[in-house]
Amino acid sequence: MRAEPEERLDPRAKLLWRLTGVLQSVPILVGGAFASYLLVRQAPVYLAVLPLLGALGVAVLSVFVLPTLLWRRWRYEIRPFEVDLQRGLLRVTRTLVPMARVQHVDTRRGPLQRRLGLSTVVFYTAAGPNEIPQLAQKTAAEVRDRIAELTQSRDEL
Amino acid sequence: MSSSTVGGLAKERRLHPAGMLLSALRTVRRWLGVAAFPGVVALINGEFGMRVLLLVLLGVTLLGVLSAVWGVLSWRATTYRVSGGAFHLKRGVFQKSERSLPLDHVQSVSTVQGVVQRLFGVVEVRIEAAGGGGEPEISLPALSISTARTLREELTSARQASLDTFEEAAATVLRRLSVQDLLLAGLTSGQIGVATSVVFGASQAFDRLLSRDLAQRISEIILPRTVYAILLFVLGVALFAWVLAILGTVLAHTSFTLSRSADGKYLCIKRGLLKRHEATVPLARIQAIKIIEGVLRQPFGLAALRVESAGFGAEEGVSTTLFPLLPRKEVETLLRAAAPRFAAPLDDLEPLPARARRRYALRATLPVLLVSTLLAVFLFPWGFITLLPTLPAALYGLLRYRAAGHKLVDERLILRFRHLARTTVVVPGKRLQSRGYSISPLQRRKGLATLEVEVASGRGGAAFRLTDVEDSQAANLIERLGSNTAATEV
Repeated sequence: MRAEPEERLDPRAKLLWRLTGVLQSVPILVGGAFASYLLVRQAPVYLAVLPLLGALGVAVLSVFVLPTLLWRRWRYEIRPFEVDLQRGLLRVTRTLVPMARVQHVDTRRGPLQRRLGLSTVVFYTAAGPNEIPQLAQKTAAEVRDRIAELTQSRDEL
Repeated sequence: MSSSTVGGLAKERRLHPAGMLLSALRTVRRWLGVAAFPGVVALINGEFGMRVLLLVLLGVTLLGVLSAVWGVLSWRATTYRVSGGAFHLKRGVFQKSERSLPLDHVQSVSTVQGVVQRLFGVVEVRIEAAGGGGEPEISLPALSISTARTLREELTSARQASLDTFEEAAATVLRRLSVQDLLLAGLTSGQIGVATSVVFGASQAFDRLLSRDLAQRISEIILPRTVYAILLFVLGVALFAWVLAILGTVLAHTSFTLSRSADGKYLCIKRGLLKRHEATVPLARIQAIKIIEGVLRQPFGLAALRVESAGFGAEEGVSTTLFPLLPRKEVETLLRAAAPRFAAPLDDLEPLPARARRRYALRATLPVLLVSTLLAVFLFPWGFITLLPTLPAALYGLLRYRAAGHKLVDERLILRFRHLARTTVVVPGKRLQSRGYSISPLQRRKGLATLEVEVASGRGGAAFRLTDVEDSQAANLIERLGSNTAATEV
């Protein structure tokens, strides 16, 4: 079996995912707290705190644990003939996209990404988009240009 | 074709005058469709007096006149021309619109001839465009047959820069659907499920619209009071649905003819009883071929052929049918004649490893088991009946395991899997937009992987998956497909 792709995402990806994790946990925590508040008068305390505890668990997981795991798994490599991607938390997916099939590439940046100097490379085939998220802005530009260049030389041949 | 016709086409042209009538009829039909059902119900309930009837007649006449005027106006407003390497269409009575379609974006040109259109000897021409926003399709509702043919030549020849291509006579017929096969296709179409739900749905809607009084009277007559009557009722519905399914197939697929153009670049599909469809599929656009053996067909060794084609998925269903019914043994021969790049021996696929069997059985059984266990607990003694379906579910899982397989022959990837119907997919390596595999934690323990490939289809893509392939084999397949694309690309 072929070795894993070589490149990793920018380490700041973990920070970004933590921040989005914080944002996503707010409504979950509020929901859990509200459910506990409703339950506290009708059920014993150890039952009533369960929703809050569950929400806390999800929050801790999505802020502290998952970003590291995701980052460790995410790898990519741009080769002359194809883009090699590996990602996934539990189910690990490996995808190879031939350069000859790539139609166009662009980079994309959300507000949070802009603050952290990160960028997402998106490249499209006729079957839809593929992403390499959270690269340092400079790396992303390089990756984008490299893919564009490689697809172009394929066309000329 | 001489240059004078090309010059002639560059002028603004109108549709065939029958277009006025067709447009008017469409308007009338739409409004009548809105009014019909409540109207009929009211009629049954006897709510009509003489005056009301007159009023309705007046309304209908008014509708007819207005539609006719509208038809003439919109006919006058619609013009098209082919010039400057593009197809231009102007439309709209009040709000004018003009659309240009570059000729190299034309994916396929098909014609449809409905009953009314047949009376006037005109056809509807549909031009399908490649990807992008907006409508994927331009429709010209009425063109005379000869104009349609010239237009098609004009539209398709631009891409290949040779004008003497689409000669109807020179096209070789590859296969025709016999009447016998047509009926067989209807009998085994397996759309009974769909038709049954339609019948039940209709009866529900009817129930709601009829006044309660009448509904009660009817239900007293036909509603079952015993188990046998229920069975009889269900059987009746199923039979009716079956007949509907057969009728549907017959309407859509009568005299289905698959032929190949003289230059070998297009496949031409003609079909339909009342509504004649004629579609050209550029061979270069076909991404994958699917051989589908329905539950009712597989035992008889019969299969249907379908194509996954870029820019051709706008109309789901029959439009992508390459051939509705043929013996499985003849599939390879037909493909060799029709689309040689997709022809491959379909037998002797590599089966999945034996350790995948239990996973297939469990995957099919677990959801059923979960639901039925819950039911068994909550509805204590009787709930246990719900445990019965786990047996067929397990059997289905095993059948899925047995059907699954893969093979790589001459740069063609063949995958076989079962979702009720057994489906075999043939994709040339060069057509894959992406290829890969995924491994879940449970699969890793057993050394298995899920193979995943994507092809372009319609406006997006289509993905084909094969679960629980030996992981080294999956990696190997991906690798070999890669070496092929790299080698052919250089």
